[in-house]
Amino acid sequence: MRTAVGVVLGAVLAVSAVLPAAGQSAALRMAITRDEGALNPYTYQTGYPGWNLMTLIYEPLFTPDADNIPQPWLVRRYAVSPDGRTWTLVLHPNIRWHDGRPFTADDVKFTYEYVRRQPHARWTGQVRAIESIETSGPTGLTIRLSAPSSAFAAQPLADLPILPRHLWEAVANPRQFNDVVGSGPYRLAEMRDGQFYRLVANDQYFAGRPKVRELVLPIIRDATVTFTALRAGEIDTAVRPLAPEVVAEFERTAGIRVARGAGYASTILQFNLEHPVLREPKLRQAMAHAINTRLMVRLLLLGYGAVGSPGYIHPGSPFYNPAVTFAASKSRAVQLLNELDYVDRNGDGVRDLPDGTALRFTLLTLAGNPVRVRGADLIRTWLRDVGIDVRVVAQEDASIIAQVWPDFDVCKGRRFDMAVFGWSAPVMNRLTVLRDLFHSDCRQGTLNIGGYRNPTLDRLGADLAAAVDPVRQKQILFEMQRIVAADLPVHTLFYQDGIYAYRADRHAAWVYQKGQGIVNKLSFIDPPRR
Amino acid sequence: MWRFVGGRGAQYLLVLCLTVVLNFALPRMMPGSPMVFLAGEDVGFLTPEQRAQLEALYGLDQPQWRQFATYVGNLARGQLGYSFQRGRPIGEIVRERLPWTLGLVGTSLVLATVIGVVLGAVSAWRRGSAFDLGTLGTAVFFESVPSFWLGMIFIAIFAAHLRWFPIFGAGTAGVAFEGWRLVVDRARHLALPLATLTLITAPGMLLVMRYAMLGVLGEPYIATARAKGVPEGRVLRRHAVRNALLPVATVFMLNLGFVVSGATVVETVFSYPGLGRLLYEAVLNRDYPVLQSTFFVITVSVIVANAAADLLYPLLDPRVRRR
Repeated sequence: MRTAVGVVLGAVLAVSAVLPAAGQSAALRMAITRDEGALNPYTYQTGYPGWNLMTLIYEPLFTPDADNIPQPWLVRRYAVSPDGRTWTLVLHPNIRWHDGRPFTADDVKFTYEYVRRQPHARWTGQVRAIESIETSGPTGLTIRLSAPSSAFAAQPLADLPILPRHLWEAVANPRQFNDVVGSGPYRLAEMRDGQFYRLVANDQYFAGRPKVRELVLPIIRDATVTFTALRAGEIDTAVRPLAPEVVAEFERTAGIRVARGAGYASTILQFNLEHPVLREPKLRQAMAHAINTRLMVRLLLLGYGAVGSPGYIHPGSPFYNPAVTFAASKSRAVQLLNELDYVDRNGDGVRDLPDGTALRFTLLTLAGNPVRVRGADLIRTWLRDVGIDVRVVAQEDASIIAQVWPDFDVCKGRRFDMAVFGWSAPVMNRLTVLRDLFHSDCRQGTLNIGGYRNPTLDRLGADLAAAVDPVRQKQILFEMQRIVAADLPVHTLFYQDGIYAYRADRHAAWVYQKGQGIVNKLSFIDPPRR
Repeated sequence: MWRFVGGRGAQYLLVLCLTVVLNFALPRMMPGSPMVFLAGEDVGFLTPEQRAQLEALYGLDQPQWRQFATYVGNLARGQLGYSFQRGRPIGEIVRERLPWTLGLVGTSLVLATVIGVVLGAVSAWRRGSAFDLGTLGTAVFFESVPSFWLGMIFIAIFAAHLRWFPIFGAGTAGVAFEGWRLVVDRARHLALPLATLTLITAPGMLLVMRYAMLGVLGEPYIATARAKGVPEGRVLRRHAVRNALLPVATVFMLNLGFVVSGATVVETVFSYPGLGRLLYEAVLNRDYPVLQSTFFVITVSVIVANAAADLLYPLLDPRVRRR
């Protein structure tokens, strides 16, 4: 329920020089953690909230809804040919750029071709499958793909923001171009490097008037200071999630409400599958059986999280296979290790391989992340209990990446034993997530940092990428989860909930987007009527 | 005189050249690549060709010596280049940030010096008194307190609890004040970071001043002045303090050069938009051009401050005057 009452109340109570229109909150102060460049598609910095804030100014054709299913936004009607290769789109008429020029199909065609020319980590790959784009009139578009693509609606349609051709056509180095004329519900009114951004509602927006008159985004680097400012009322909300320890306190604070939902960012125990010992699936299963993920969620997240699914996919995702389960049991761990004939041969308390090599591994963990450091320590204790010796090494991000994912290129190999690692929420939202994570070809399994190889999974990954039928997509993903759960190339430990605090009297119409949080377009504007 | 200036000039030039080389080399020796920050979190989805294309765009595909030549060439033309992360000319960013840092760190240096000199002088003058012991204890306390902790305590007490000052920032975000209201807003935001920084800088000054005073007070000319019947206040101000000021002046000049480097910790705790925070964020983001340029600007200002000290010193202390 969108509480219109709250919005009106917020508008009345708000102290602001600008008088908001009816049904609109006045100025809302939302703390961010760092600079986001000029908030245009080539200079914004972070996947969350950078992309979400940027898409308030520059809009993709589709928008992910609260369940992350792409829905047409700038597009009024669309059709996909039976072979899945031709997409016909009709844009809403009367969309305008912030400078008053009309937004047309030509801008769309230009943008999709521009990101192919000017490499962008996020979008260049998304348009690779496009064979041709034709426009018909100012609102008609026909996009032909070289092969059917299951992910096309999500990426690029709901991901790639459209650029105004008349301003970007001549731009040769977009990373040094700081223009911010977009078509979205907000326009950038002011930007102070290292201090704040100020976004103002675009009252000419085609889908109606945005719910908040003005968005002020101060940059606060320190977490403690952020939450002190929120409690004192100097800001109204923050993009930074609440730490589990302070949730109860914020829930008790008058005037503050806490929004909580599934978080799609994962914490995993990553194995190096090229390691001569760790490549044994039974050993990985034994380790997983020794680790009490349920207790981890209680101890590390104080219950604000979900226990990891062995098939990686979050239980809240529409693609989660509920038949894939894992019940850890220490006695089963011991049994598996004994079956492998890994027993203590020299009486030092550590099991040894038949050839006498001790089961001794290094576990990397991120030094700046207390949850991961403590998680690694729990894993060390539990593995010790079943006779596996683990040495925890906490290092900074860059050093860990250099060993686990050198140059962010899995083709360059790896040199580590095990790592407490994690992937951000957008990875879970990719339909092809299990292919990205586990395909043996490093150019398809671009996130396969463990070097996992399984021909069946590879074949399913290829099938999935070409499947356009949602039922078929789900079938394939269910099967992939089954394989991952049986083989355990990674052991998914848990997913931390997204917990956000806000002052309800300033703005109450927040929409929690599954897996991600409250900073998304739907919190600021209702979807256009078709 | 000219030989002296020439000799010193050559020395400074050597230091400058060395730092130009170090500024280039050090950031590149850190583990981690700027790629993830150039490409964002989606770096994993790039094909090797796209990655190479992106590296080429930033000149990172060039051999190190070529990158170095470009950097030196740009410096020689007075160009600091473009920030990887911010996509803006670094000169522009530094010009924006400099006033905040000068206002905060410069003011605190002056305040800390004044406080240090006055309290240090009185402390030494009343050596062993309750005042001396109290000042000394307080000074050692603030000298050893971490600045982020002090800042946090100030925020908790004076901003969050008493509501005397704002919690973060250099001005009220998103509000355009004018005239005296602008001044008040800026001053209110400056108060806590300034107090924090001053309180951790002053003890050093105080201790230097106190020890210099103690040395001076043992000199025969003080005894002579007293024997001549010069009033105590005059002995303190004219005979003792003036002579004890020399080491403080040296420390002051040394600090002056580093004013430009900002106060990373205090700027971060208070979300103050100074150069220290810029530098810190550039390290986190492996923003090589920003690192090179800000370190260069800092080096130059340290050298300038040193040169100024060299030139000023003869005026302050006749003993080092050259004929």
